[in-house]
Amino acid sequence: MKARGILSSALAFMALVSVAGKAPAAELEASMLANTCNGCHGPNGTSYGPAAPTIGGTNAAYMFETMIAFREGERPSTIMQRIAKGYSDEELKLIADYFAKQPFGRVVDQDTDPDLVARGKQIYDNLCEDCHEDEGMSAIDYPALAGQMMPYLDHQLHDLISGRRDLEKNEALSSKERRKKMRNLKELVETEGGDGVAAVIHFFGSKN
Amino acid sequence: MTNLSRRNFIKIGGAAVAGATLGLPHIARAAGGNVVIVGGGVGGATTARYLKLANPDISVTVVEPKASYHTCFMSNEVLGGERTLEGIEVGYDGLKSMGITMVQDRAAGIDPDAKTVTTAGGETLSFDRCVVAPGISFVTDGIEGYDEAAQEKIPHAWQAGPQTALLRSQLEAMEDGGLVVIIAPPNPFRCPPGPYERASLIAHYLKAEKPKSKVMILDPKEKFSKQGLFTQAWKDLYGFGTDDSMIEWNTFSKVGAINKLDAAAMTVETDFESFDPAVINYIPPQKAGKIALNADLADDSGWCPVDKMTFESSKHAGVHVIGDAAIATAMPKSGYSANSQGKVTAAAIVAALSGKEMPQPSYVNTCYSIAGTDYGFSVAAVYRYNAEDNTIAGVKGAGGLTPVDASAEQRKREVAFAHSWYNNIRKDTWG
Repeated sequence: MKARGILSSALAFMALVSVAGKAPAAELEASMLANTCNGCHGPNGTSYGPAAPTIGGTNAAYMFETMIAFREGERPSTIMQRIAKGYSDEELKLIADYFAKQPFGRVVDQDTDPDLVARGKQIYDNLCEDCHEDEGMSAIDYPALAGQMMPYLDHQLHDLISGRRDLEKNEALSSKERRKKMRNLKELVETEGGDGVAAVIHFFGSKN
Repeated sequence: MTNLSRRNFIKIGGAAVAGATLGLPHIARAAGGNVVIVGGGVGGATTARYLKLANPDISVTVVEPKASYHTCFMSNEVLGGERTLEGIEVGYDGLKSMGITMVQDRAAGIDPDAKTVTTAGGETLSFDRCVVAPGISFVTDGIEGYDEAAQEKIPHAWQAGPQTALLRSQLEAMEDGGLVVIIAPPNPFRCPPGPYERASLIAHYLKAEKPKSKVMILDPKEKFSKQGLFTQAWKDLYGFGTDDSMIEWNTFSKVGAINKLDAAAMTVETDFESFDPAVINYIPPQKAGKIALNADLADDSGWCPVDKMTFESSKHAGVHVIGDAAIATAMPKSGYSANSQGKVTAAAIVAALSGKEMPQPSYVNTCYSIAGTDYGFSVAAVYRYNAEDNTIAGVKGAGGLTPVDASAEQRKREVAFAHSWYNNIRKDTWG
């Protein structure tokens, strides 16, 4: 288990502070809020592809942080920044907890190249395994990546490597975590070249 | 009726149903209540699925004349040759596998007092709650030469299926150098960006196959959905604004309103001009689907007023109207709106049938348009219910459009997300 230091205290803080505005006429319900996501992300957050990520069965803290980062404009997106602005912290917490309880469905048989998958496995063992445990199947501390949509993984790695998605700004990670992730991404690009990125994507995409 | 009393009414109504069930345990009725849904499109199918997901004891029957459904969304890709007609067809096995009863018949009447739906085939279905999701009907009078029969020559292709196939075959048959006229409808209508995406994807096809041809939109409106984004796309892809533009947009204020459509001679006459197109795509003005009009669910506007929290008809208690047919304040008549409203309605019905108060409704619309290769953009909104004036309003500061200056990479990603949207909303709606 890896500590996500800031995160747990942030969530504890959330639990204590009500962020709702004026008293609502009826109760908030997690499923009512979360179901509105399914139109783009699939039933219970299991995506049928090709690109929209599966959000069911993901890590609750990660999803909550991600939605906050979208809302605050700290993480780039096409549409999610616009959508995240529609929700309070309390609502995002309910949504994140709801999806974390759903299974991570791996329903799309994605096209992968066996040679790239094999190479991706080696890179994974070397650079990714410490955080994205169990060949990317685990969502205990970090988001599950195994069986995630390959175009989505490609977008994210592209944005992380280019700095468009700036890990330095990710306050949910400790400075140690940030440094490690930046170092590993740098190594992925420098030692493996462009094919290394593709290999990692094929490795995760091959899991179903 | 205030919203507070409406909620109380539902509560009392639900309690009464529960009481009746307890009092008369031998009457054959579903333990969770009976829901009859008119229409197996997005709104109807979503409601059916989410009712069953919430409570499998609710008996759910969907009355739908067609054996399968063609989605209007992505039908413009069929017109552009990027997708087959089979690629927008979806069956009802997913609903049936959940224990939802499909009655393949046309709903002929709804009696809100007797709480029955009668079908054209003579079947009578009893309900505790009815959901009417009939989509749209067309206003076919008012233009010389145009009636329902003319649609075999002048397709609307605004209900997908055979009409989509007809328009596609006309585009395939036309010679290079021909003119395609799209006549857009007045507000409000199904899929506000649809006519402009259609012009884009027809131009996309013509650019590759028949580059001397043109698309002309004739429009009763002075502005349209995602106008800045479409205009930018047309400039980037189809020479919009130049003499060689493949797309021309003309308002009625400029060329005159449509007076006559001649299906035999294939001519379009406006107040000021006459056009000689190879293909005419007339998208008529619209109203709620016919069953909603016949069942007295619409008001003078031709659309159905509803309680915005429950989608229960303002005219007939126990009957809910959703999707394109309903008046939903800020929510556009879109597939995603119908899907979102179906979930809210399912929650309202589950609450009513169990005598509980429904949770706060939450609604979203997300709508992608594809203008050409690797060129997509979107609009999104998150909505809240306002009990004070019975409206659905967008959350301030949220939602909105893809920026006009989005990068090529962003536009390409939006196409991938548009296709994901399609696969996922289909699965979420029909299983």
